[in-house]
Amino acid sequence: MSVSSPYNTAVLRPNVYEDLNVSEPIDNKTAEALKAVTAAASVAELTAVELRYLGKKGEINELRRAIGTLPAEERPAFGASINEAAARVTEALEDRRAVLKSGELRAQLQAESVDITLPGAVLPAGGLHPLTITADRIKEVLGGMGFEFVDGPELEDYAYNFAALNYPEDHPAMDEQNSFFVTDDRLMRTQTTALQGRIMANRRPPFRIATIGRCFRYEAVDATHHHTFHQVDIFMVDEKISMADLKGTLGTFARSMFGPETLVRFRPDFFPFVEPGVDYSILWQGRWLELGGAGLIHPNILQAYGINTEKYSGFAFGLGVERTHMIQTGVNDLRLYLENDVRFLRQFQGA
Amino acid sequence: MKVPLIWLKEYVDFDLTAEEIAAKLTMGGLEVEGIEEHNGSPVLDVYITPNRGDCLSILGVAREISALLRTPLKLPAISETSALAASAVNTLASVQIDDPDLCPRYAARVVSGIKIGPSPLWLQNALEAAGQRPVNNVVDVTNYVMLELGQPLHAFDLQKLENSAIVVRSATDGELIQTLDGATHILKSPTLVIADASKPAAVAGLMGGAFSEVTDATTSILLESAHFDPLSIRRASRALNLRTEASYRFERVVDPNGVVRAINRACDLLARIGQPVAAEGVIDVYPQPVESRVITLRTERAASLLGMELSSETCAQCLEALGFDVTIEAGGTNLLVRVPTFRADIAIEEDLIEEVGRIHGYENIPETLPSGETTRGGDSDQGRLISSVRRALVECGLQEVVTHSLTAPSAFDTAPDGTSTRVPVRNALSVNVSGLRRSIIPTLLDVAQHNAARGQHSLSLFEVGRIWQYDIVDGEPTPGEYLSIAGLITGPVLPVGARYGTKPAVADYFTIKGVLDRLADRLKLTDVTLRPASEREEWMPQFHPGRSGTISLGGARVDGVIGELHPELASKYDLKHRIYVFELSFESMARAAQTGSRRYQPITRQQAISRDIAPRLKDGVPFAAVRAAVAAADVSVLLDCRLTDIFRGAPLPEETHSLTLSLTFAYKPASLTDDRAVTEAEVTEALAKIRAELEARCGATFVG
Repeated sequence: MSVSSPYNTAVLRPNVYEDLNVSEPIDNKTAEALKAVTAAASVAELTAVELRYLGKKGEINELRRAIGTLPAEERPAFGASINEAAARVTEALEDRRAVLKSGELRAQLQAESVDITLPGAVLPAGGLHPLTITADRIKEVLGGMGFEFVDGPELEDYAYNFAALNYPEDHPAMDEQNSFFVTDDRLMRTQTTALQGRIMANRRPPFRIATIGRCFRYEAVDATHHHTFHQVDIFMVDEKISMADLKGTLGTFARSMFGPETLVRFRPDFFPFVEPGVDYSILWQGRWLELGGAGLIHPNILQAYGINTEKYSGFAFGLGVERTHMIQTGVNDLRLYLENDVRFLRQFQGA
Repeated sequence: MKVPLIWLKEYVDFDLTAEEIAAKLTMGGLEVEGIEEHNGSPVLDVYITPNRGDCLSILGVAREISALLRTPLKLPAISETSALAASAVNTLASVQIDDPDLCPRYAARVVSGIKIGPSPLWLQNALEAAGQRPVNNVVDVTNYVMLELGQPLHAFDLQKLENSAIVVRSATDGELIQTLDGATHILKSPTLVIADASKPAAVAGLMGGAFSEVTDATTSILLESAHFDPLSIRRASRALNLRTEASYRFERVVDPNGVVRAINRACDLLARIGQPVAAEGVIDVYPQPVESRVITLRTERAASLLGMELSSETCAQCLEALGFDVTIEAGGTNLLVRVPTFRADIAIEEDLIEEVGRIHGYENIPETLPSGETTRGGDSDQGRLISSVRRALVECGLQEVVTHSLTAPSAFDTAPDGTSTRVPVRNALSVNVSGLRRSIIPTLLDVAQHNAARGQHSLSLFEVGRIWQYDIVDGEPTPGEYLSIAGLITGPVLPVGARYGTKPAVADYFTIKGVLDRLADRLKLTDVTLRPASEREEWMPQFHPGRSGTISLGGARVDGVIGELHPELASKYDLKHRIYVFELSFESMARAAQTGSRRYQPITRQQAISRDIAPRLKDGVPFAAVRAAVAAADVSVLLDCRLTDIFRGAPLPEETHSLTLSLTFAYKPASLTDDRAVTEAEVTEALAKIRAELEARCGATFVG
């Protein structure tokens, strides 16, 4: 509150009051101005008060006009008195302004308040399809095990889809793979295994290859069958590859996908492109679940591509992407994946 | 196949419950899909893989059990017959094979004085338990033997066969036969028939003819037991659209050396149920008997491929249990294995290794990991680029979908100039899978409709997937496969909560354009040219002519489309809001994209200077021209040029508009030490250049 003013009222006042009777209008005006300051109810009113008393032509400044009527020796004291009055009013004004301002800001902020529990303005988030999420995880795991991903065509040559995979001509094994034909020799691939011939025609062992993609079989659609589905096919050729290597690779893969407690078991099964052929199941949450087919690549296939079967052998296994996701999440209807109901798709976003 | 447990126990002893034996069989390779009951006794429903024709019989399944349990197999006692020319049967009938490739063996016996009637209850029960309907004593016996031994048999009414003759030959084209089921078939060569002296009496391996059927009036029968070529049966079955228990077995190879045993078994059973003894002897035409194979099995190789320790003795035991003859060679490391002819699936050493493995038990195989050379794993270049595209679109708030490749016809099936068309599926049974999609847009529309019908009207979707079309390659229409990126946005793009008290912003053209801009930014597509659909309306009939265009990525070629779906097409989909889509060739995008590591660009630490300019333009000058003009000014200190407003109306003259371009200037340092502030003089000079280019290239004017 203390304003350091060069004009010390305690010193000046006796002179003014005793020798001159000119200070009275100053005191009156000051009192009036201070009253107006106190009465101002808003910053805007206060600004008007400031202008009225302290402006260039304000009422306090106007008192200076009287200075010319005073004797020369009194003028300095008179001037000092006006200055002192102006300082007092200014000080009061600033004090009042601070009070009014903080009150007004408070009121304004109060008026701006919102219900902070209202729903947030969540920006629309995109997301990947659950099959992509699953495929990405599979790629990550197999990539880490040295498997290189390669894509094959969905519209495939009959030869790669069947003949190159050791299917005897027109064999009953094909009854399980009714196909969508586009021409006499091209069809929608019924299995991603079709990539094997394409790779072996161009690569020499050792190689570890994997592929993920769509497959098509002519089937009536229900909760567990679809004419369109996604398959992963994994195969490798190297020296001394055995069924034990297949089991170990499957075990490592399954434990990465389904958890460290997962076990793998084989059951004999028949696929023309493997010998021995098995289907494999995983023990997951106390139940054995069939996951896919596997086996050692049939020597007829390796030999057809000039690979010496006395030196090299290989394994192959496949699995369904939908099936993998269904096991992990409890989805019980295959049709949901291609229906793309956003209420379904959004359930699998996030960590 | 239905396998009654009681019947099974005639050939192999075991003390296991139905569930236990089912588990054994399943883990041994014959999957038991269910256990049913017949007259209070369990019946296994066994799935037989297509390679195991030998297991399509009770005896075949019993043999597997005997091997898995190491319990002896009890073969039924069957009387033997001679096939001498002097036998009585040769005076009663004759057999001639015209096509021994398709019918390598045909055996016949004759039973005279038969009295047709119902078979005894035990026989009827056995058949019913195995899922067969009893017919009469003769037919029931033939079915019983087929189920027991796997060899289909057929009985002809001998008196109906002209000259009592059997001629196995190809049908002549147009030849007719009425089969037992009443259907009449028009035959074609080379479908094999069993004919009498003049006409077909049966379609070989499939079904008998009606005229020679065994009826209540029949008194003498000719029993047929034959071996047919599997492929010929399969083709005949498909040609006539006829599938029977017999054809199912013949397709999967029946033992050629079990033919006579089966016919003798049938004769034994007929005698056992009170019918006359068959005429002495069997007619057996078998010009080239099938010999059993001998395959060498190296124990070491078996151990190596299975990845477990094995002795020659173990291998021998497993194979002998399955009915193979095994000799361990001197030295003990190799096995000479004689494969019985009922195992047509065993052709090479690896086949034997599988048999050893599964009988020894796959649970004995340990887990090891391949120990060879390390290979480089990971996603392909294309796979990584697809992931980048997906990431960019997800950043834009789009949800990935996976839609059908096989679709119904759509509005996007033909290129406007007819150079490419949709690829139809040849054998489509339903219009919904009648062809391969030529664009992803129609299936995105289907997804949008599906969701809208369930109350989801705010949709932002994308898919990266394959599309197909017939292209003309060397003058020939050839189906080609391509990768495509497509997106769809419709309805409110922000949740209502974003601006309470205001209506949610609904997607418009610029929403989808923003997605394309983001994609271009992320993949560094530096040369994206849009041409309005209005320039060549006939090229984009599916689109709103004023709010759509083609996309080119650095060339004249059209690499994609973007815009609002034509309201007429949109009205076919039940959507509340306007629909915006884009589709871009992945291959074009991959060529244009700048992939790989981004080079670091030093950034100035000095203050930038911003200036707005407001060029006035005639309507119709595309913004692309404005941007090109700014680029043409080639101002090195121009950091950024953003369009912040478009103004139309008073005081501007009619058919003009003004733009507000916010320009940001800064010095582009070559290195951190090179840095300095941009000067007012540089900015003034730059503004003058930019204005001049806008005036010259776009006819822009400036006020003040």
